[in-house]
Amino acid sequence: MNRQLRILVVLPMYGGSLPVGRFCADALRESGHLVEVFEAPDFHSSYKALEQLKVTADRLDYLENSYLQVVSQAVLAKVETFEPDLVLSMAQAPLTIQALKRLRRDGVATAMWFVEDYRLFTYWKAFAPHYDVFAVIQKEGIFEGLEAIGQNNALYLPLAAHPTFHKPLALSLTDKRKFGADVSFMGAGYPNRRMAFRELIRPGFKIWGTEWEGDHVLEPYVQMAGRRVTPEECVKIFNASTVNLNLHSSIQADNLVTHGDFINPRTFEVAACGAFQLVDRRTLMPEAFEPDELAIFDSMEELRERIEYYLAHPEKRITTAKRGQARVLKEHTYVARMQTLLDFVAERLDAWPPQRDRGELYPEGFPEELKGELKNMLAQLSLPEDAAFEDVVWAIRSRQGELSGLDTAMLFLDEWRKLFNK
Amino acid sequence: MTAGCGYKLMLETVMKHSLIIQIARFGDLVQTKRLITSLLLSSGGEVHLLVDNSLKSLAQIIYPEAVVHSITAHGTGLSGAEAVRTMLVDNRRVFEHLRSIDFDDVYNLNFSPLNYRIAALFDSDRVHGHRWIDGQEKPSEWAAMAMRWTGNRRLGINIVDFWGAYAQPLCPPEAVNPDASPKGGGVGIVLAGRESRRSLPAEHIARIAGVFAAKHRGPVSLLGSGAEAAAGEDVLDRMPSSLRERTVNLAGKTGWGELCEVVSSLDMLMTPDTGTMHLAAHFGVPVHAFFLSSAWCFETGPYGLGHTVYQAVQDCLPCLEVAECHHAVKCLEPFSDPSFVRTIATGKHGFLPDGLTVFETAFDELGLTFKAAAGPDAEAQQRKEFRAFLASHLGLSDASAGADQDLWANKLYRDKQWIFDQ
Repeated sequence: MNRQLRILVVLPMYGGSLPVGRFCADALRESGHLVEVFEAPDFHSSYKALEQLKVTADRLDYLENSYLQVVSQAVLAKVETFEPDLVLSMAQAPLTIQALKRLRRDGVATAMWFVEDYRLFTYWKAFAPHYDVFAVIQKEGIFEGLEAIGQNNALYLPLAAHPTFHKPLALSLTDKRKFGADVSFMGAGYPNRRMAFRELIRPGFKIWGTEWEGDHVLEPYVQMAGRRVTPEECVKIFNASTVNLNLHSSIQADNLVTHGDFINPRTFEVAACGAFQLVDRRTLMPEAFEPDELAIFDSMEELRERIEYYLAHPEKRITTAKRGQARVLKEHTYVARMQTLLDFVAERLDAWPPQRDRGELYPEGFPEELKGELKNMLAQLSLPEDAAFEDVVWAIRSRQGELSGLDTAMLFLDEWRKLFNK
Repeated sequence: MTAGCGYKLMLETVMKHSLIIQIARFGDLVQTKRLITSLLLSSGGEVHLLVDNSLKSLAQIIYPEAVVHSITAHGTGLSGAEAVRTMLVDNRRVFEHLRSIDFDDVYNLNFSPLNYRIAALFDSDRVHGHRWIDGQEKPSEWAAMAMRWTGNRRLGINIVDFWGAYAQPLCPPEAVNPDASPKGGGVGIVLAGRESRRSLPAEHIARIAGVFAAKHRGPVSLLGSGAEAAAGEDVLDRMPSSLRERTVNLAGKTGWGELCEVVSSLDMLMTPDTGTMHLAAHFGVPVHAFFLSSAWCFETGPYGLGHTVYQAVQDCLPCLEVAECHHAVKCLEPFSDPSFVRTIATGKHGFLPDGLTVFETAFDELGLTFKAAAGPDAEAQQRKEFRAFLASHLGLSDASAGADQDLWANKLYRDKQWIFDQ
């Protein structure tokens, strides 16, 4: 699938798949596609405001559902105007079943990248059949489950890193002091992590992220009062930490190292930064990394030992981190994932992508003297040099604020031709 | 403070630079006069006007105090290739120039995708009418309200007043056009409007022209574009020889300058709803207009005192010109009735055939309205209330006064106007 496509990425209102959605949009743009993003987070505060009403539960339920219908309609309106080849939703994207049915009726291809643990987040059972393609980050059990409810276009699509964002940084002294540590962890305070990290306390240990409240043992080590860490701050933490702990989450605390299946995004992101991590073994790791590309532990005992070992052996850290980084840059990027997804969509859906009349970038009569300017414009708009005229028009339309004379003339010409069929 | 006092106060204190975007047709350009007059009188600054190239010289003749700019906006006369070059080079140059002028206000009048694109050049907070906000088309509230009241076109307001009301303060309606009076140059006859169903057939024109010509000395001038030259010959053929000798077929033979010269000298103009009709009103030449089909005098009647409209009144009127007529154009029948000619000849309205109302122009606090001199005006009371409501909305009258204001408020206001600052 090498054709330039128009893709609408529908973000969730909040949560872990939100940054993943943004990386997907960036990656698709990097690959030369025309991408429009539905900014669902803009609608989140209004939705949450409903909870402050103190009304009866049934009334609140009605209001919440009504509001989600409005947001879903907004996505449909965007589809109507943008006319995408594919609507790519992230887990928890605000598209109701009714809206998904409408998209299917209108022949608009849809794909969901479900970057959640299907065993914990079970709502996929209602929604998965309404997507044309359903990509998941696990293998065992989910394919059978999807097939049983009529979703036969399932794709294993592990998480990834976005190297233009997850990269080695030359940090300032201030940032090094703030974000640096011998040992640190960045992530939410799941039960297994709370228990595990009590065993790892040491001077200078830093914990970043949310949901650590109420743990009096760990609280002194929680940074920035446990506020949400931005993706930019994450990259600084990964870069500044000597040993990044990466313990996959679990809602139970009996087994602290769970040996679960999917690989979390942090694994790819830390590696892409060229930073060092100690990560718990996952069943899907062998097909993503060679043994010498990651420093893996199988138990808490092993974790404790390896922390000390790697702190004492910087050259081992560097070697492993470099190997891991090379593997991620080669195979585990969002650009690669999006290509895999689009290839899968093309393979599974009939007559996709749909043929559309692509207006010549330089229609007959296009002034020679403007070609240079248009080339610059394409570069500014991150469009390929063989972009279609209507894609340039859409990209101009996406610009904010007052437009230039040439921008306006392009938009005007486009509408004029539609109006007078010329 | 009365509207009049406010007007004087503004006159003394404000100096503004304004741009009016009026890229529609001949008649629309002339009907922009109340807005232009209001801005010229109140701002003391410059009023710029953007029109289609074909209307530039006319705009310069009728609005000598305005700075006129022009672009290619209409669809005629250009191949697709020519259009590309014209719009990207010539239009672009004008767009750049307009963008370089720091307009305080931009009045974007036409509900058209072309107008929305031009609005992209300017800070949306300065645009009145049809705005472009970061790629989103959005009409201002006054424009949106107009779309609501056009649900009942029988009420309507004159488009001169509608456009004029974008400016605050609004100049008095008397300041727009001179009161109509004969100029001594004979009778003008407009052969057809752009919409054919609105125009009278040649035999009707010939018959009615004879009646008017008998009341005035001097030549009879047949007016129209080159497309109506043959219709002019047809009318001539149907005239009695005495009248034919006084008549000259000028269809297709007048540029804007000559047309203005002829029209401004007339004793009266007989016409359907046309641009030339508005031009006559601009010069204070008495208009006798025949309104049928989609033409409704309360929307587009001749502006100023001293004009007469013979308005067809059927249940199906005003219709949409683009929609097929399923009533055999019955609104034309009264104009065929011999008693209609008798009414004009004698001035006795007792002869007026059914299906017609004779309306005379008048002013109220909102602007131009019509009083029925003969025939029914079933909506007179409702229209009065509607106009009172709009006048109070615009601050031209006391907002607390008037019957049924809540009724109109419910019809024309929307929740979002109340909730958000529009």
